[in-house]
Amino acid sequence: MDLSIVLQFFISGVNLGCIYAALGLGFFVVYSVTRVLNLAQGEFVMVGGMLTATFYSMGVPIILSALIAIAVAGLLGGILHCGVIHPARNLSKATQTFLTVGFAFAIEGIALLVWGWEYKSLPNFLSTPNIHFGGATIIGQTPWVTGITLLAVTGLFLFFGHTLQGKALRACADNPLGAKTIGISVDRMSLYVFILAGAFGGIAGAVITPLTMVSYNIGFPMTIKGLLAAFVGGITRAEGVILGGMVLGMAEAIAAGLMPSEYHSIFAMIILMAVFLCQPHGLLSSSGKT
Amino acid sequence: MNKTVELRRTKAEYLILALVVVLFLSIPLFAGPYHLAIIMDIGIYAIITMGLILLMGQAGQLSLGQAVFFGLGAYSSAILTTQHHFAPWLALLLAIIITGSIAAGIGRAVLRLKGIIVSGVTLVLNLIFSYLVLSLINLTGGANGIVNIPHLSPVKLIPNSLFDYYFLWIVAFLLLAFSLNLVNSRTGRALRTMNILSGGGEETAQVLGINVMKYKVQVFTLGAVYASIAGSIYAHHLGSIEPDIFGAHLSLLVAIMAIVGGMASPWGAFLGAALLMGLTELLGKFASVVVSGPTGAYELIAYGIILMAVLRFLPQGLIPLFQKLPPQSRHSK
Repeated sequence: MDLSIVLQFFISGVNLGCIYAALGLGFFVVYSVTRVLNLAQGEFVMVGGMLTATFYSMGVPIILSALIAIAVAGLLGGILHCGVIHPARNLSKATQTFLTVGFAFAIEGIALLVWGWEYKSLPNFLSTPNIHFGGATIIGQTPWVTGITLLAVTGLFLFFGHTLQGKALRACADNPLGAKTIGISVDRMSLYVFILAGAFGGIAGAVITPLTMVSYNIGFPMTIKGLLAAFVGGITRAEGVILGGMVLGMAEAIAAGLMPSEYHSIFAMIILMAVFLCQPHGLLSSSGKT
Repeated sequence: MNKTVELRRTKAEYLILALVVVLFLSIPLFAGPYHLAIIMDIGIYAIITMGLILLMGQAGQLSLGQAVFFGLGAYSSAILTTQHHFAPWLALLLAIIITGSIAAGIGRAVLRLKGIIVSGVTLVLNLIFSYLVLSLINLTGGANGIVNIPHLSPVKLIPNSLFDYYFLWIVAFLLLAFSLNLVNSRTGRALRTMNILSGGGEETAQVLGINVMKYKVQVFTLGAVYASIAGSIYAHHLGSIEPDIFGAHLSLLVAIMAIVGGMASPWGAFLGAALLMGLTELLGKFASVVVSGPTGAYELIAYGIILMAVLRFLPQGLIPLFQKLPPQSRHSK
């Protein structure tokens, strides 16, 4: 096979993988600390994308638009925690998970009220032109997607590994009761992870908008794509989610190069099913329990 | 003591069932085609929701994949009748077998997982199904869907829509009677024993000698069969189907109906479906600002707020409000 084709597959695979990973990490941070599956995660992506496009169309510089959108998405995560999850903290995790579904429906409805049915798009960040490299063509947005995702992931790892708050979060993920005993406020930590998940969703939304159009109803599809990455890799570990995202991205990129267009996504799905039948808790499951 | 209570309850329930059946069979005498269509929608949703209630309310398995099985039933019926010229009633039965087999396979893989992870994985199934429908164009017609699906009624004695109405509601009540029986049977008790949502547990059930996996797969398959029947009736009634209908939104809406109606009893399915469809109609009439298409903005907001409010303040759903006995007596520990 031609080397340039391999390069092309690799680049678009990493790019798609980064998107999947960014979508999936929001689930990981919330699930690891609260054991709630936040099915409103995709709504943060939608809000991030739509707001970036809206501010940009009002003349705000694109990077600033993205930052505002990410901040609003994080705020929305905080609202989800304070208004919905925290008051129900004594109810079962299943109830809390379904509460996030209700929140997602409400956000989607409000988005439809605000933005209507129209699709929004953005130019590549800083109008980066397409790059030709070693016979492969790289869409101008690709370095931004990969770069920003890597930056965010590195930030996440540094935060979890090297700050007191991050260590407290890991303690909560490990053993909530134990964390409480040594004086960590689990409620506060759970607020942090929802804000973090919101911001992560906002970042994903802002960087994918130049590549795929966004509209009020992309929330649940984005939720499902993130879940896919999280489940393929194993939702209990950040490395697992990133690996899952990369596997899916690569599979989709290779399928896009080798098969007729209508079969791309199916190929990735078949990978998921194969992984699933062999390893029901994901590629990198730390333990058998979920 | 619980035994007698349960028996008495069952008799009362059958009496209500008989009254409701008579009421529904006589509705076409005084309702116009517009209202009949709404009541049919309620029936379709109620059947799908009833399947989910058996799975969630009895066995405690959180599934968000009912739209997949609804779609499988609809597409099986449509493909068998339009491409292979099967009789509609035979297609309906074959669709049950096809959907049931697929659901049993999926159930075997998915139900090894526990708790809320099952809800996430079954939600992913919706995306897989819609991609499959869009890619297998020769079979499913892709984004265009399938048209000219023949009608259920074998002979044309009464108008087609009236035949569909009666057929749907007779099926719905038969399934309701079956579900009520199931809830009060050995299987129902076994399922409730393993239900983590109502204080049971799979380990407890296993210790008691209940084959947990077998029962879970069985009830998952049964729920899928309910959805498949609804899907077949839907496809034959409308005469055309398109992939947009069978998505994650439908699965989630059905889950909302189950939660709002109440999962302790199969009656909850009818209550939830009637309430949410009625609300949709009202909002569609009075809030004409943005509302168009399948779901308008106010409907989405209303669904979300109702779901959150019911989960917080009426965790048993609406069904306990209609029951004289406290819900605990139903679930004897």
